[in-house]
Amino acid sequence: MFSKFKIILLSVFLFIMFSCGSDEISEENSSVGKSSNVAPGLESNSGSSSGSKENVFRINFSDPPTFDPHLVTDTTSASIIVEIFSGLVTLNKDLDIIPDLAESWEVSDDGTVYTFNLREDIKFSNGENVTAQDFKWSIERSANPDTGSYNADVYLGDIIGVKEVIDSNGGIQEVEGVKAIDDKTLEITIDSPKTYFLAKLTYPTAFVLSQKYLESMGDDWIDSPVGTGPFVLQEYQIGQILKLKRNDLYWGEKSKVDGVIMNLAGGVSMAMYENDEIDITGVGLADLERVKDPNDPLSKDLVDVPPQFTLSYIGFNVNMAPFDDENFRKALSHAVDKELIADKIYSGLTKPAYAVIPPGFPGYSPSINGLEFNPELAKDYLSKSKYSDPATRPRIIVTIPGTGGSPGMDTEVISDMWRETLGVEVEIQQVEWATYLQDMNRKRLQVWAGSGWQADYPDPQDFIDILFYSGSDVNHGNYKNEKVDDLILEARTELDQNRRFLLYNQAEQIVVDEAPIFPLWFDTDGYALVKPWVKGYSFTPIIVPKYKDMYIE
Amino acid sequence: MLKYIFKRIIWMPVLLLMVSLIVFFLGVYGPGDPIEVQLGNNYDQESADRIREKMGLNDPVVIQWLNYVRKAAVGDFGESYVFKNREVSELLIPKLIVSAKLNIISFVIAIAIGTPLGFYAAVHNGTVRDPIVVIFSLVFYAMPVFFTAPFLILIFALQLDLVPAAGWGGVFDKRIILPAITIGIPGAAVFVRLIRSSMIEVLDTDYVKLARAKGVSENKVLWKHAFRNAMLPVVTIMGFSLAGLFGGSLIVEILFGIPGVGRISLDSVYSRDYPVIMAIVLLGSSALVVANLIIDFLYTLVDPRIELQ
Repeated sequence: MFSKFKIILLSVFLFIMFSCGSDEISEENSSVGKSSNVAPGLESNSGSSSGSKENVFRINFSDPPTFDPHLVTDTTSASIIVEIFSGLVTLNKDLDIIPDLAESWEVSDDGTVYTFNLREDIKFSNGENVTAQDFKWSIERSANPDTGSYNADVYLGDIIGVKEVIDSNGGIQEVEGVKAIDDKTLEITIDSPKTYFLAKLTYPTAFVLSQKYLESMGDDWIDSPVGTGPFVLQEYQIGQILKLKRNDLYWGEKSKVDGVIMNLAGGVSMAMYENDEIDITGVGLADLERVKDPNDPLSKDLVDVPPQFTLSYIGFNVNMAPFDDENFRKALSHAVDKELIADKIYSGLTKPAYAVIPPGFPGYSPSINGLEFNPELAKDYLSKSKYSDPATRPRIIVTIPGTGGSPGMDTEVISDMWRETLGVEVEIQQVEWATYLQDMNRKRLQVWAGSGWQADYPDPQDFIDILFYSGSDVNHGNYKNEKVDDLILEARTELDQNRRFLLYNQAEQIVVDEAPIFPLWFDTDGYALVKPWVKGYSFTPIIVPKYKDMYIE
Repeated sequence: MLKYIFKRIIWMPVLLLMVSLIVFFLGVYGPGDPIEVQLGNNYDQESADRIREKMGLNDPVVIQWLNYVRKAAVGDFGESYVFKNREVSELLIPKLIVSAKLNIISFVIAIAIGTPLGFYAAVHNGTVRDPIVVIFSLVFYAMPVFFTAPFLILIFALQLDLVPAAGWGGVFDKRIILPAITIGIPGAAVFVRLIRSSMIEVLDTDYVKLARAKGVSENKVLWKHAFRNAMLPVVTIMGFSLAGLFGGSLIVEILFGIPGVGRISLDSVYSRDYPVIMAIVLLGSSALVVANLIIDFLYTLVDPRIELQ
C-alpha cells in the first residue's frame, strides 16, 4: 500500500502549482521529494469549525478518485481505502508483513503454494461473515477486465491463472491458482517462488470485498461501500466533505476516535490550523522558519514526519547521444555538488542520494559506492568521452514536467554546475504533465528530471528490478546490462532473503557505477503540526491504516 | 423580435456542435492520454490498450464524437474517467451551484460598490475627487487575488477572528464574506472605470447640454438623461459577467476552501478527463451564447431605438 510510482510532482505540481497558486502560501513542503512527505492529503480542509475536542479527527484531504480497492491507482484513494477495507496481510509501521484477515499462513517447500488460515471472527461492516470464497471472488474480480483494474497484473500477476483471466477479455472468469479449501482456508499458487509476493498482497488490489453485497447492489455498492477495515464511510460529498466513522464490527481493537472528518474543499491549511479548524497540517519551507522559533506558540505542535521511500533522480536515455557514452554520464554525475544544494536550497530537508535503494528500506546497503562530487574526476571523464568536444556534441535537452514556467531549483542549479565545471550546456524544456508521461513511457526523452520513484511495496525488487531490468516498462532510459539482468532474474526466485538482498545490491552497485540515472535525493524527515489534544497519531512512510490507534484528549 | 430570438436559439445547437467537435479533436489529437496519466509509471502498452478498448477510446474519433453527441443531446454527459463510476453531472452540478452562488454575491458587491463610485467620479470630473477615485480603483484592480485572499484571511480570520479561515456554508453563511469580497473588489474597479468613462462621454453630449440649458434640474439631468444612456456599455459587460457565472475562480476556491468548479476544471485538463472537460466547455459556451442573447435583449430596454431583427 504505498503510493504508486509516484512522482514527486503529481503532488508538487498538481497541488502546489495549480492548487495553491503561489508558493509563499502553500502549506506543502515544496522541495523535491518533500511534497508527498506530509501524510498524503494534508492538503484540503474541514467543514466544521465547531472548535475541537469532539472525539473526531479533522484533516484536510482531497477527493479520492475511487473507493473501489481493485481500481485504486493513487495514494489519495489508497489512504482512505486502507481505513475502510483490508486484506489477508498488512504492514506494520516497521514495514513488516503482519497478519490481517489471515491469522496465519503456510508456504509450501518449493515456495509456490501459500495456504492462508482466515480468522474466525471476521465480518464485513454489514454483518456478513468473511469467507475464503469472498477472497477468491475478489481476486477474480480484480483480474477480470470488466472491472477495469489498472494494476491487477502488477500486484496479482504472479498468481497462476490471473494473467489468463486478464488476457481472456472476459472469456475466463476463474483464477486457477486460487482455491477456497473451506470457509476459512484459502490456497494461492504462484508461478515461481517469489518472496516479495506477500508484500504485494498488502496493496488494495488484493483486498477482499463481499461477493454477496456487491452482487446484490450492482454498481451502486460503491456509494455505500462495505468492508473489513477499522472504519466505515459515513458520508461523502464530492469536493466538500468525507466522514469516516468507527467500524464496530472490526475484528481487531476498535478505533478510539469516533471518526475522521476530511475537508475536501481546500483552504489555506496553515491558517485553518491556526484557527483550530483542522487538527493537523504539513509545514512547508516557507513556514518552517517561523514555526521552529521557540517563541512561536506553534513550535510546541511541531512534529517530525519520517521520510518516504523515494528516490528522485535525473534519468539519461542511454540509447541517445551523448548519453550512450558511459564516460559522459559519469562526468555529469561527478560534476554536481549535491551536498551544497541540499544544504543551501532545501535547508537540509532532502538528503543527497548516491545509490538507488533509500536508507531504511528493505535491502538498503550503506556500502554502495556512489559517484561523489569530484570536479577533477568529472573533467577527466569528460576528456575520455567521445563527446568531449562541445562543437560536435549533440544538443542536450532536459525535460521536466509541470506548467509553472520555472524548473525546480535543483534542476537549474545542476545545469549551472554542469556548465561551470564541465562547460556542458543543457537546455531545460518544461512540458505539461500528461505530455511528459507520454514521452517518458514511450522512452523517448533524452534527459528527464523532476520525477522519481516511490516504493509501492517494501521490497528492493520494487526499485532495482522495476527500474533497471532491461525488459521493464519503467526502465525509461533503455538501460541494459546483461550482468544486471542476470542478477535480477536470479533474485526473483531466490528464497534466502539475505542472499536475495545481496544480489540486488550487486546489481545496484553496477547500476550506480554505470550511471544510467543520476540519483539526486532521498527523502528525509519533514515537519507537520499536530494539535496537542491529538495523541498517538503516527506518520508512516507508507500507506497503512493509521486512524484507529489515535485518540483525542 | 420573437422571430429574432427564435433564430438565435436555433443556431445554438449548431454552435455547440462545432465547439464540441473542436474540443473533442483537440483532446484526442493533443499530447497526453487519460489512461496514461492514471497508470503513471505502471504504464504498459498492453493494459493501457485493454482499458482503452473497454472505455471505447479505440474507436475512430468520429464514432466517439457521434456517440458523445448522441448522449449529450439527451443530457447524458457520461462518466468521469478519473472519478470511477461517477456521472459527470453528479460531479459538476453541485460545484456549479456553489460557484454560481459565490459569483452572484461577488457580482452584487461589484455593482453595488462600482456603480456609485463611477458615477461619483464622473460627476466630479475635473476636480481632485475624480482622480482619487480612479487611482484607488486602479490599485484595487491591480491587486492579484493571491495577494488579497491571504491578506484578508490574515486580518479577518487570524488576527480579528471574525470569520473562519476557510469553508463553505452557502450564501447566508459568514464564510462567504471574504471570498465574495476577494472576487468582488476587482470587479467593482472595472465598473468604476466603465461607468465613469461612459458617464463623462454622455455628460458631454449635446442633449445633456440642451437639458441643462433649458433648466432641467441637475439631478434629473444626471439620472434621467445621462445615467440611463451611460448604462449601455455597462450592460454589455454585465452580460458577459453573467456568462461567467458558472465559472469558478480557481485560486479563490482553493484558498478559501470553496467546493466550486474551478479546481475540477483545471484538474480535468491535467488528467485528460475528457467527459468532464467537454461538459465544462459546452456549458461555458452555452452560457456565453445565452448571455449574448440577453444582452441584446437588454439593449432594447435601455435604448428603445435599438431594434432586434
